[in-house]
Amino acid sequence: MKGYRKYFLNKLVWLFVTAVFAFLLNFILPRLMPGDPVAAITARIAQGMSNSTGMKETYEQYQRSFGLDKPMLTQFALYIKNVFSGNFGTSFSQFPRPVSDILSSSIWWTICLQFPAIIIGWLIGNTLGALAAYLKKGFDKVIMPISIFVSNFPAFGMAVILMVIFGVKLRWFPTSGGYGFDLIPDFSWKFIWSVIVHYQLPFWSIVIIAIGGQAIGMRSMSIYELNADYVKYSRFMGIKDNKIVGYVFRNAMLPQITGLALSIGTMVGGALIAEIVFSYPGLGYTLLNAVMGQDYPLISAVTLIITLMVLIANFAIEMIYGLIDPRIKAAQSD
Amino acid sequence: MKNTLNQVFHSGKFVVGFCIFMALLAMVIFYPLFVPDDPLESIGKGTFFPPGTYVNIYDSINATTKYSINLDDATEKRIASKLTEENKKDMKTWLIMDGIPADQIDTSDISSLLKLWENEYSKSKTLGMTYAKQRYYQRLNASVQGLLSKEGLTVMQVDDSTGETNEIATIQQTDYVNVKQVANVRWFPLGTDNFGRDILTELVTAAGVSLQIGLVAGLIATFIGLTLGLISGYVGGWVDDVIMFITNLFTVIPSMVLLILISYSIGQDKRGAFTIATVIGLTSWVWTTRAVRSQVISLRNRDHVNLSKLSGHSTFNIIFSDILPYIMSYVIMALILQISSGILAEASLSILGLGPRTTDVPTLGLMMNWAMIYQAHVLGKWWAYLPVLVTIALITFSMNLMNTGLDQVFNPALRD
Amino acid sequence: MLEVNELTTKYITRFKEDVYAVDHVSLKVEEGKSLGIAGESGCGKSTLALSLMGYYFPPLHYTSGQIIIDGKNISGMNPDEVRRTILGTEIAYIPQAAMNALNPTQKVINFIQDVIWAHNPKMTKSDVYDFARQRFELLGLPEEVLHKYPVELSGGMKQRTVIAVSVILGPKILIADEPSSALDVTSQKMVIKMLLDLMETGLIKSMIFITHELPLLYNVTDDIMVMYAGQIVEKGTAQQTVFDPIHPYSKGLMGSIIVPESGLRNAKLTAIPGVPPNLKRPPEGCRFAARCKYVQPECKVHSISMREAKGDREYRCIFTEQQLRKDYENG
Repeated sequence: MKGYRKYFLNKLVWLFVTAVFAFLLNFILPRLMPGDPVAAITARIAQGMSNSTGMKETYEQYQRSFGLDKPMLTQFALYIKNVFSGNFGTSFSQFPRPVSDILSSSIWWTICLQFPAIIIGWLIGNTLGALAAYLKKGFDKVIMPISIFVSNFPAFGMAVILMVIFGVKLRWFPTSGGYGFDLIPDFSWKFIWSVIVHYQLPFWSIVIIAIGGQAIGMRSMSIYELNADYVKYSRFMGIKDNKIVGYVFRNAMLPQITGLALSIGTMVGGALIAEIVFSYPGLGYTLLNAVMGQDYPLISAVTLIITLMVLIANFAIEMIYGLIDPRIKAAQSD
Repeated sequence: MKNTLNQVFHSGKFVVGFCIFMALLAMVIFYPLFVPDDPLESIGKGTFFPPGTYVNIYDSINATTKYSINLDDATEKRIASKLTEENKKDMKTWLIMDGIPADQIDTSDISSLLKLWENEYSKSKTLGMTYAKQRYYQRLNASVQGLLSKEGLTVMQVDDSTGETNEIATIQQTDYVNVKQVANVRWFPLGTDNFGRDILTELVTAAGVSLQIGLVAGLIATFIGLTLGLISGYVGGWVDDVIMFITNLFTVIPSMVLLILISYSIGQDKRGAFTIATVIGLTSWVWTTRAVRSQVISLRNRDHVNLSKLSGHSTFNIIFSDILPYIMSYVIMALILQISSGILAEASLSILGLGPRTTDVPTLGLMMNWAMIYQAHVLGKWWAYLPVLVTIALITFSMNLMNTGLDQVFNPALRD
Repeated sequence: MLEVNELTTKYITRFKEDVYAVDHVSLKVEEGKSLGIAGESGCGKSTLALSLMGYYFPPLHYTSGQIIIDGKNISGMNPDEVRRTILGTEIAYIPQAAMNALNPTQKVINFIQDVIWAHNPKMTKSDVYDFARQRFELLGLPEEVLHKYPVELSGGMKQRTVIAVSVILGPKILIADEPSSALDVTSQKMVIKMLLDLMETGLIKSMIFITHELPLLYNVTDDIMVMYAGQIVEKGTAQQTVFDPIHPYSKGLMGSIIVPESGLRNAKLTAIPGVPPNLKRPPEGCRFAARCKYVQPECKVHSISMREAKGDREYRCIFTEQQLRKDYENG
């Protein structure tokens, strides 16, 4: 395990650096917005107010809580401190609900939906691509055009199509929400079943998009590997094809894992839109409502959380890669 | 060059993609010339008119020439449009409850069914039904009244001065009007959206705008990527390290998030189509940079480059005349990809509501956004979103196809 | 030991054309002897090697002929039987550029395990390890190589590892396809020495050495066979073929090589003009006719068969030894 230390540290440092950068971005960008954000916020909060003193006090209170009366660096420190203590401020569109509360209720829906969906889509896509490369002929000729076609669909496109076919026309699945509107979350079977049913369409939209993209890549990699010298040599030595195929896919898989790490940002982005299409109560939908309601604290918090999630996922994938590719360990030991 | 063009246009994939793309482009350019309507004008007073030809009833009543045509199935068609299968089954059920033997009722023979119904039905016959059911049959009865009658309709007009109603016209069941002679007929090939706008006109304009946005975003992104990649790859050293560091940062942070943040920060009023395009371009150069850089690195040790260095050419000169031509093919492919992903990025932004201002121009993403917000998909108004989706898919599909074709021409190893 | 009679194999191209890469080849290798196969690129040497093993994978197909190993006829055997009984156990093949022949993500010992278990599934892991270690020691390879990944080994070491792995199942015949071409001179020498040791220690009984470097063969093999365009054009001992080639092609080959061997040092360098024929449409008659300086109209009419010459040699030409030799001496 010693060999991994260098690799691990390397990736950890990177995670830290990008996280800092993400914080900076989340902090700086909205503050570059022209105009006085506090005035805009106050205007919204004070919509019902007619008392000008009350408005002025609200304005000053927000100034203070944002620390806008302090220098930038202090503001940033305040921001970081707030984030780490879980204080993301109060939401405007769902006033007076704290942002952290909104986040904690929607983040689990997103994680439970996207995480399995992306992984399963990746697995199925790679398997199909590998099979297409190995079986050739008929299977390949069918899978290839379908994959090309599907991979060109925008993520939300697939979501809409699935919704229309299975939700509206065939009425097999519900078209919106995370669970039935008439249900209150608890651990009853009825609730859980409703959740599962509502889970299907968003889940499969993300999976299908992921499959389309992966299948093509894996197929190319597999074809490349299947023609490699070591395949021929293993055959010369009398090793069975099954075993050889095992080698090939393990080798072809490695660049695919790296590819996953690189593209996870995009996949999450697409999956968020899919959530929105289905009004699924995850981060995507929350973000949409936040934007529509001009809820600055909420938007800022959601984008930060999404970025951090992607960064952590990226880190995890790179760690897994380090464990799987034996050459990493070998390269470290000398 | 000529040989390359030759090869390119012989590549099946490229040609197909190119044709689709050109067809779309032609549509975008020529359609507005023939149909000069304002795409954002609300024509339909009401939401989501389905596609079809809309004939002005007022004008057809007042049409100068009325034609009398006798079609055998006219009556049946008229009845069928009012009486669904379910209605017929319900009528049969009622009649059976009334005591008519089932084999005497034939739901396929509409006129006999209706005759039976007219004879038998009476509001007063409760037949042990619930009140709701009785009301249902009353409504059913009302709607089928007169279906079998051969009478015509009378049109009355209210006289402003006297307040009297005067008969101005009668319309027989056999009266037809030639659509071409009706003063106002409007064909909505794709219906209208929730604002009452003609979708086809809107779609064509939106496609054009989206393409422009994609083009601008693509050009910006490719330009940045090319420059950074060239410098980073050729100069190397700490410049390379810095640029790669920045690039890696931008790789991991989801570009969607960046787009959202920047878009939001700009604020609603500043968000024109061009601004959005610039923003997209500024956030999506990462992949191109990496790709160009790796190409340049493999090129910079080639003999012709070394020769130029020995001859004392300036760095700029070398980059421009020795390296750039070799990566042109790559750059063109990158440009195509950037354009198509720029279009998708704009669509995603617009769906979130962070796209260009909604009052200026429609874009493909905006159309999707409106459709989603106004629940078109749930209400079954497919024409509000399906054509948009298909257009987006066609654009990206044709561009990717062209790209794959180009790839196979430039990299013979990929030809299958 | 190994007897091949009129072996013919072909490649079927995409457009359903047949390329007869190995055309009625016959050869014999005796126990304890080694045979070198020389010829330019594309003459069918590697294809011959693959065919000898019974290793037919599309687009390579067996057409006719016999391959008899130790009295057993393996031609026409079904692929699975070939895999189980022949590949690696009777005949072993060292591919060209053997350094790429190892799976980059697999340790050497794991690969050896797979090879052994493919033929002998009952052997325990530790037995396999001991066996591998002994073998490696015997062949002068350090034990630590077993635990390494290919990426950690140098080119020469990889080549020798591949050779060691190829013979690990104790095949009777070893076919080495250009084993030293991609290496530096020192490594080349080590590889050749290793191969010769293999023969000497009896680990393998016979060897077929394929190369385009004729002088190398003189130092390694007992007999030499020259191939051209899918056919054998000359057979004989190493000494005979290198110093006294009969067939015009062999003469051309030897003449085009700078060789410091005494006796050849003063020979003039000659190049053979032209290119080998397209095997999709092999020419009528002698395949070398287009490039031969002795060519006569008769050469292009009928297909030429092998002729015998003094000292148990054979060559494929319509002319007699004397006719050909006379011109040679005249420069």
